[in-house]
Amino acid sequence: MTAGNVVFLFVLVAATGFFALNVQRLVRYLRLGYSEDRTDHPLTRIRNVLEIGIAQKKIFRDPIAGPMHALIFWGFMVLTAGTIEIVMAGVIPEFSFELILPRAVYLVYSASQDIFAALVIAAVAVALYRRLVLHPRRLEGDDLEHTDAIIILSMIAGLMVTLLLTNGFLLAADPSAFGGEKLISRMIGRAITQTMSPRSALLRYHIFWWTHALLILAFLNYLPYSKHLHVVTSLINVYFANTSGPGTRGAMRPMDLEADVEQFGASDVEHLSWKNLLDGYSCTECGRCTAACPANITGKPLSPRKIVVNTRQRLMEKAPAVTGDRMDFMRSALLHGGDDDSYASIGGDVAEHQLLGAYITDEELWACTSCRACVVECPVSIDQLDVINQLRRNLVLTESRFPSEMQPVFESLERNASPWAFDAGDRGRWAEGLRIPTMSEMAERGERPDLLFWVGCMGSFDDRAKKITVAFARIMQACGIRFAILGQEESCHGDPARRMGNEYLYQMLAKNAIETLDRYEVSTIVTHCPHCFHQIGNEFPQLGGNYEVVHHSTFIERLLEDGSIPLATAEGKRLTMAYHDSCYLGRYNDVYDAPRETLKRALPVVTLVEPPRTKDRGLCCGAGGGRMFMEERTGKRINVERTEELLATGADAIAVACPFCMTMISDGVKAAGSDVPVLDIAEVVASSLAVVSNGVHA
Amino acid sequence: MKIAVCIKRTPDSESRFRIAASGAAIDDTGLKFDIDDFAGYAVEAALQINEKAGGGESVVIAIGPDSVQESLRKAMSMGVDRAVHLKADAVPADGIAIAKALAAELQSGGFDLVLFGKHSFDSSSAVVGTATAELLGVPCVTAASELSVTGGTGVARRELEGAAELVSFPLPAVVTIDEGVARPRYPSLKGIMAAKKKPLETKPAQLGAARVTVQKAQLPPERPAGRIIGEGVAAVPELVRLLQTEAKVL
Repeated sequence: MTAGNVVFLFVLVAATGFFALNVQRLVRYLRLGYSEDRTDHPLTRIRNVLEIGIAQKKIFRDPIAGPMHALIFWGFMVLTAGTIEIVMAGVIPEFSFELILPRAVYLVYSASQDIFAALVIAAVAVALYRRLVLHPRRLEGDDLEHTDAIIILSMIAGLMVTLLLTNGFLLAADPSAFGGEKLISRMIGRAITQTMSPRSALLRYHIFWWTHALLILAFLNYLPYSKHLHVVTSLINVYFANTSGPGTRGAMRPMDLEADVEQFGASDVEHLSWKNLLDGYSCTECGRCTAACPANITGKPLSPRKIVVNTRQRLMEKAPAVTGDRMDFMRSALLHGGDDDSYASIGGDVAEHQLLGAYITDEELWACTSCRACVVECPVSIDQLDVINQLRRNLVLTESRFPSEMQPVFESLERNASPWAFDAGDRGRWAEGLRIPTMSEMAERGERPDLLFWVGCMGSFDDRAKKITVAFARIMQACGIRFAILGQEESCHGDPARRMGNEYLYQMLAKNAIETLDRYEVSTIVTHCPHCFHQIGNEFPQLGGNYEVVHHSTFIERLLEDGSIPLATAEGKRLTMAYHDSCYLGRYNDVYDAPRETLKRALPVVTLVEPPRTKDRGLCCGAGGGRMFMEERTGKRINVERTEELLATGADAIAVACPFCMTMISDGVKAAGSDVPVLDIAEVVASSLAVVSNGVHA
Repeated sequence: MKIAVCIKRTPDSESRFRIAASGAAIDDTGLKFDIDDFAGYAVEAALQINEKAGGGESVVIAIGPDSVQESLRKAMSMGVDRAVHLKADAVPADGIAIAKALAAELQSGGFDLVLFGKHSFDSSSAVVGTATAELLGVPCVTAASELSVTGGTGVARRELEGAAELVSFPLPAVVTIDEGVARPRYPSLKGIMAAKKKPLETKPAQLGAARVTVQKAQLPPERPAGRIIGEGVAAVPELVRLLQTEAKVL
């Protein structure tokens, strides 16, 4: 062992030791969150890590930043092997992988180090150009965030440059050090040979080797104080995430209301799960979520990125105070030039602060449409919506503080089991004269239908939506399907209450609906409302309600595929239609093709056009998350923004598959002064029906 | 301050009503009952007065069968400290009979303020509050849309036809509450859980003799459906003729 080896070993132990202390500290902070098991379904989790993590599936959703990031990421994976070699060589004299690897493998490895170092430099150049020259909107952060990003990018560039220079100088000093596989290093080496002697080159080799090695250790120790901690946490985060499964995507957390606690929902970091806190560590503030957020796009104060960043900031503020840990001063010391005392100065606030209020305002939380665009967009599977939902629960259940428009909705749900003040007795009125039996009528006759048509509150009470209900019922009648409705016995499943944070009211309503469904031993349900579809199918199992629920888009598509629907001969005029994706159908349940197929099959001469934001990137209509019932006072109206996109396609008609979207887009069309019709897919199909067997005419 | 709020449990006003078999009452089946709207405002007013003063006690009182306990719990989930259930098989139609039972309960309670809704949605008699004040021998202010208390004096605002008046009165007093005070708060789950542990005392209602009884209940006549006379300018002469001859408004 040389003296150099001894010095390096000492530095290495000190650096990794300090890093280990920081990791320990960050893990200790996570324990502030409540415990939650995320170890189920390991195979799904591993698949997620491979697809979303290693293959960078979501990163590639951005056509420019995607390849750039993937190059840096894959470059890091490849270069980590080289880093191990360098560290080992620092301790063991004359160590090289060449000694232990088969020749061919070594050559590939050796060449890869060279090539990827160059590729990473190119990618970092693109990243710096974007950040310093192009200024994409989604990268707008505070000064701290910018400084952090520049430091990290410079460090990465420094690592790559010193790596190439180390090898270059080594080759200038000893051309036999590497073979021909290190193309770039060899070019650099040749250039160096012309300017200095092998002796001077060897000295510089040592300087750059040490610079590179120390930079690696510095980088490692900078990470815990940086948003680039994601380098360490993101694969772990993807593994433990539930946003792409396992489990039911988009289902809200179950909640035990019997628990004897003072706090319902979350107002501070200790009311969140450790996974929510890990999300904070994993956020690189790339802003993809915020760029996709309908509230943010239209000028509301909500930014999903801010929610996650705030969660981390609050954790970093509170955890040291709670755990008696002062190591975190390094972050501010590094980035602000502050010092240890900066903690003492905010001591009083730490106890009084909460995540809610000091960081995140009520207005941000109520602006959310629960459209799930942020969650779908996040490349490291962060669940921004989960935090929003937990904070909303606190606002309603613990603090009873919410926009005043919501109170009549809650009260109406309590009294009439519908978000609107309609008499429950009028629920089945749309069906008068249509010869549709109710479950109780069939039960009296000792019969059972093949399926239950769950109409939903919109479909039962809203004048426009009732037409969708009738259209869908006519399609089923035309196919001779034996279905029944609950009529007066149908009651809201509680989804609006749940999304607005009122879990107590939700559970009352849901349990009541489950009781009704179980009384009639219902097993299969069809509905034309994506919210009913999602809630009954995906969230009722949490409360013991298990039914097969089919959305009418899928149901009608199957019928069309079988040829069961008697369609009039297709002599329609050529029609251009734009389909607007419902969030609860699309991003919550992955139903994108069925409504489009339905339109194509029902209208053989239809041309489907897509707005730029479509399918899993579709913009919300603005009604989700209880926004349907709230005023939209700030910024542009979301439904207007969305309708303008749909109208810009030049379509003759707009198709929807959700009664809430119907209301929002119809209003949007009116606001735009347009007369383009907005139709539900069921209405499109019903209008193409041939004469129906029971005498009702198309 | 010690405040009593007397509440009534009434059916939701959006319900579709039917006459009961007796012909003298509405049919309760399928109706959703809750704290009467004006009584809800009275609960809110009581809570706000004590919150503003930073202390005090509020008590909610209701007469009726066991089902009224649900409404008493709801008032407690909003923040009222305790409840008294004056048990009776039914609420009589005679407001003075009710007032006697309430006065008997309130007499020894040492309340500074007794609040009522200005009238109930279902019977609209507006008798109970004023009659209770008379029986207790304290001042009575009806239909207050704003209420504040300083020292031993209350000030209330009353909305009149085209005007408003401010009245002051010494405590103890009875005030019946109109809408205009803050909208009744929505109980938090925290409040609902706390309400389960708050005291609810049940005792028989000492109702006075009922001298008023309902003989017959009737639904309002169904409104005839609207009529479309025609469209555009051509329909105007016919419209004017009907407004003159049939509706007699021109």
